[in-house]
Amino acid sequence: MSGYQNKIKEAANRLLTEGSVDMVIGFRKGTLPMMNEPCFIRRPEDVHQLVWDSNCGINLANYLTDRKEKIAIVAKGCDSRNIVTHIIENKIKREKLHIIGVPCQGMVDKRKIISLFGEEILDVTENGDDLKIKFRGCEKSLKKNDVLQENCATCIHRNPVLFDELVGELVTEQTGVDRYADVNRVEALSSQEKWQYFEDLLSPCVRCYACRNACPLCYCPTCFVDESRPQWVGKSQDPVDIRTFHFLRAYHCAGRCTDCGACERACPVGIKVRQFTSKLNKDSFEMFGWEAGMTLDQRPPLDTYKPNDPNDFIK
Amino acid sequence: MNLMEHMGIEPGRLQFSWISSAESTKFVDVVKTVTASVKALGPNTNYKKQAVKVA
Amino acid sequence: MKVFTIDKKDWDAGIEKTKSSYQVFGPVKEKEWHCFKALDKDEQPDMTYTNTRLSPKFLVQPQTEPMFTYTLDESQPDHHILKEINKDASPKAMVGIRPCDASAFLLVKRNFDAPQYQDPYWLKAYNAITFMGFACNDPCSTCFCTSAGCGPFHEAGLDVLLVDDGDRFLAKSLTDKGDAFMTAAGWKAQADDAGKIEAMKHAAESKIGSRISTGNLKAKETTQIYDAPFWEDTAFSCINCGTCTYSCPTCWCFDIQDENRGNSGVRLRNWDSCMFPLFTIHGTGHNPRGAKVQRVRQRFMHKLKYYVEKYDNGIQCVGCGRCIRLCPVNIDIRKVCNLMNDYDPAACVCPA
Repeated sequence: MSGYQNKIKEAANRLLTEGSVDMVIGFRKGTLPMMNEPCFIRRPEDVHQLVWDSNCGINLANYLTDRKEKIAIVAKGCDSRNIVTHIIENKIKREKLHIIGVPCQGMVDKRKIISLFGEEILDVTENGDDLKIKFRGCEKSLKKNDVLQENCATCIHRNPVLFDELVGELVTEQTGVDRYADVNRVEALSSQEKWQYFEDLLSPCVRCYACRNACPLCYCPTCFVDESRPQWVGKSQDPVDIRTFHFLRAYHCAGRCTDCGACERACPVGIKVRQFTSKLNKDSFEMFGWEAGMTLDQRPPLDTYKPNDPNDFIK
Repeated sequence: MNLMEHMGIEPGRLQFSWISSAESTKFVDVVKTVTASVKALGPNTNYKKQAVKVA
Repeated sequence: MKVFTIDKKDWDAGIEKTKSSYQVFGPVKEKEWHCFKALDKDEQPDMTYTNTRLSPKFLVQPQTEPMFTYTLDESQPDHHILKEINKDASPKAMVGIRPCDASAFLLVKRNFDAPQYQDPYWLKAYNAITFMGFACNDPCSTCFCTSAGCGPFHEAGLDVLLVDDGDRFLAKSLTDKGDAFMTAAGWKAQADDAGKIEAMKHAAESKIGSRISTGNLKAKETTQIYDAPFWEDTAFSCINCGTCTYSCPTCWCFDIQDENRGNSGVRLRNWDSCMFPLFTIHGTGHNPRGAKVQRVRQRFMHKLKYYVEKYDNGIQCVGCGRCIRLCPVNIDIRKVCNLMNDYDPAACVCPA
């Protein structure tokens, strides 16, 4: 990991010094343990701020939308897939980008650690797969693989799919993981149980829209929840309005979601918002053999027509 | 439709059909089938916004 | 001012007694974090908690609050007339509220209880509450209350200050409302060593490890901070969600909406957030704060500059640290406050 960090700094320094990019988008060390902050670097002398560790879960493709500069961006597997999606959807031009690819080994879920120990994390040191976590008056050791973000634990595209350079050897992709265990569990419930499941899931929602805003796919100039003429959805804490926001947000990600987990990571009240998008990802895969953002050469299934598209639902 | 049913809308409540303007009999059949299946399910009380509590 | 000793074995019974004259709210663990809720019979506040995930401001200013009802049915004599909704003003007690959150209500009160205008909804709800604050013996690493005009044993805004002292609580009643609550609970024993609280206060204050500097904020030229180059860098990572404002105990902004069902409707007010583009958009479609950097700047300028100038009584922040802990991208108000406080346009020619 620290190898990655040095390589990222080297690349950023080279690109800024030779003037081939205007800015580098990456992460800098946060003010809290296990938090890094997305940042931009414009001058070679600021390159030292860049960091890389297991707390870079925010999807940096979100910061590219409609940017006009020549940008170098640090991208793990999911970020690179969202960059591909951005290029396909004309939100950024390929020739404006220099992608510094990071073969990813998964991001850590800070909340999992907090709920394991019920204590405030004071400091964390990371060494390969080993995490040493300092709490008030005690220190614990953990294996990183035991506390990965849920989407990282089942990720099968850790390597960047599109890059101009790599900061390390490609990693071996995971095999034999069950990506849709949660979806299958919900699918087995009755309609009323499903309704109740999502009712409970969404009950803490405060409509801060962090899930929407952390997502690189959500770039509409005006979101449907913010429209007032007509006003599609009420703005109060009514559970029906809250649910309408969540499932429509998910629908807008159909065939586009890379399961980067930024939505779930951003939620301040810990709602598993991927429960909506995972179902769509599973359907996209099963019905169209499609995983978003894997290639620039193929149009997404929902903006193309094929005579053999599944159409059993039309009666 | 799959996501709607996934989050608890009963199967049969939401239906899609492709009917040409020339297919009047199919139109009538579809309307009858849809109405019958939705009636059988009863009112969708889950996804109905309740009046604001004012007390 | 009286100081009481409450043996912890008498605590539950006392709280139970108060429920006959108050609706009692307290911190309860739900799923993985604590929140304030109305306590049922035999339900006790969890006095081992650190702080609630979101602030308790919703008990005074609910996220959605109905204000009026109306009918559009012209056959009714009162059609198109807004009718005020009767609000519950029965006595309530907030047991275990942290001093920062209680003192936050005082900052908000300056806005809702101004000489020219009084907000009847906010005031009615606020005045109905007796605040039994719970001093922090072990503050979090993100707490910076002592440099934000507050503190772990801060008494302003409280009716009773409760201190955990091992197998007993020490309670300092600060107001008549506080005395009434203690009487309702039936706690009588006078403390023999009132000085203990002072010692514990100093110990707790010394544990606050993080500080902000606010001394220069008032004197700074508003337009110079407004035009400072650090805003671009500060705002870059922001995703413009409402997490900071919705978790903040001192953010009070709201938006008014009418919701109709057929011919009748309700006028509601909902929390709003200066992070949202919709917050300032005009009827013309023009948005004076159309860009993210302007919205981020507004949040910090309001809390740390405009408020300071308007009321001349400190910043609009109590140092609870929620926005720091919950921000998905780690924007830290302590860092921004120091940038603003230390900003010198003459010395700085480059961003950050």
